Amino acid sequence: MDGGMSYQRFPKVKIREVKDDIMKFELRETDASLANALRRVMIAEVPTIAIDLVEIEVNSSVLNDEFIAHRLGLIPLTSERAMSMRFSRDCDACDGDGQCEFCSVEFHLRAKCLTDQTLDVTSKDLYSSDHTVVPVDFSDPNEPGEQRGIIIVKLRRGQELRLRAIARKGIGKDHAKWSPAATVTFMYEPMIRINEDLMESMSLEDKRSWIESSPTKVFEMDPITQQLKWHLKLEVQVVGSRLTGEEGREDASYWLSLFRDVPMLPVKVVAEPESYTYDDEVIKKAEAMGKSGLVEIEAKEDSFIFTVESTGAIKATQLVLNAIEVLKQKLDAVRLSDDTVEADDQFGELGAHMRGG
Amino acid sequence: MNAPDRYERFVVPEGTKKVSYERDTKIINAASFTIEREDHTVGNILRMQLHRDPNVLFAGYKLPHPLQYKIIVRIHTTSQSSPMQAYNQAINDLDKELDHLKNAFETEMAKHSREY
Repeated sequence: MDGGMSYQRFPKVKIREVKDDIMKFELRETDASLANALRRVMIAEVPTIAIDLVEIEVNSSVLNDEFIAHRLGLIPLTSERAMSMRFSRDCDACDGDGQCEFCSVEFHLRAKCLTDQTLDVTSKDLYSSDHTVVPVDFSDPNEPGEQRGIIIVKLRRGQELRLRAIARKGIGKDHAKWSPAATVTFMYEPMIRINEDLMESMSLEDKRSWIESSPTKVFEMDPITQQLKWHLKLEVQVVGSRLTGEEGREDASYWLSLFRDVPMLPVKVVAEPESYTYDDEVIKKAEAMGKSGLVEIEAKEDSFIFTVESTGAIKATQLVLNAIEVLKQKLDAVRLSDDTVEADDQFGELGAHMRGG
Repeated sequence: MNAPDRYERFVVPEGTKKVSYERDTKIINAASFTIEREDHTVGNILRMQLHRDPNVLFAGYKLPHPLQYKIIVRIHTTSQSSPMQAYNQAINDLDKELDHLKNAFETEMAKHSREY
């Protein structure tokens, strides 16, 4: 049965930037289906922990019980443990009511406002039964003492909120509160080719207006030229101001004309190819200027630039690794079971028999 | 009111097979695989991987209806292979590709943390 050729690919990865909750990387030598599968898994199928059941004891706040329960669900909780935790629906140790340590974490919240000062009830007022699963801390390490909890509700004098909440493991497909991803995007890497001969045939003004036609800053003047331009400007200002009145030459074009023979290099270089949004504006502009073919832009089919931003529930790097793991598990689950193969083998023999083989 | 439960989208009901296989009655070496509780994530990577196999004459998938949580993958191969062999091969190759990707990512991460 087996022993066929392998058509496997060997993708390459290059990390550009990593912070706790954001990362950028390049993925090459694979195709869009895999890049998109990774993106989809990161958003909807990497598990995290979020509050799912809320039992309200006292609520005399301005928000109703359901409103508060919904807000609690959306608070990101640190979920490094989620991959190894059980879903409460497959938990044998309990009947899924959130009483067991394998599939749930309990939280308590007690707040009462006793002064005339409005009391902010935040995620910092949630007390967890498990120190590894706590509301994500957004405080800036450079600014200690600054309160950065997520506000749940505000209380005025005499109002009180007391509740018990149970957090469970889940995935974004079930409810977005379980999604560990704030944003996950990928773009095709653009391949930009400039026709140098056509470019040389353009005047400085034309080049400048062509550069300006791009809504995002994809092209800019060569840094050497920019320096020249800057010197030129200074020169004109200094010299010009001295000569004003004497010769009345204030217009820049006259002063620019003096530099006509200076060997400048006003060739455009690509400044930020990735800021190109595939809007075709520069191509249309080139055509309108009668310079079609000035630039060719194509999307490389096998290179992707990913931006991964996490909610803080897990680190961005861990999110990518977990997505790979989840995708592997999914593929494993769709393997043919032995009984299917057996049944088909019998069918095959029967079929062969029926065909007279 | 009569909305299906959210978990219906990803929990295979008891007594249902995750993958079922059905041979085409008219064309030899053609078959459909019905995968329960899966969507474009798996369907599209499987299809594209099957396209890399020169013995596969046709590979496609469909999500018949957004509220029927299943996909149907159809494969037609040459006589050198079989739909089942191609299907298994595609899964194995994707699995190995993901193993490679994981290692490549971890190596990059180690390099990156050393540099900064």
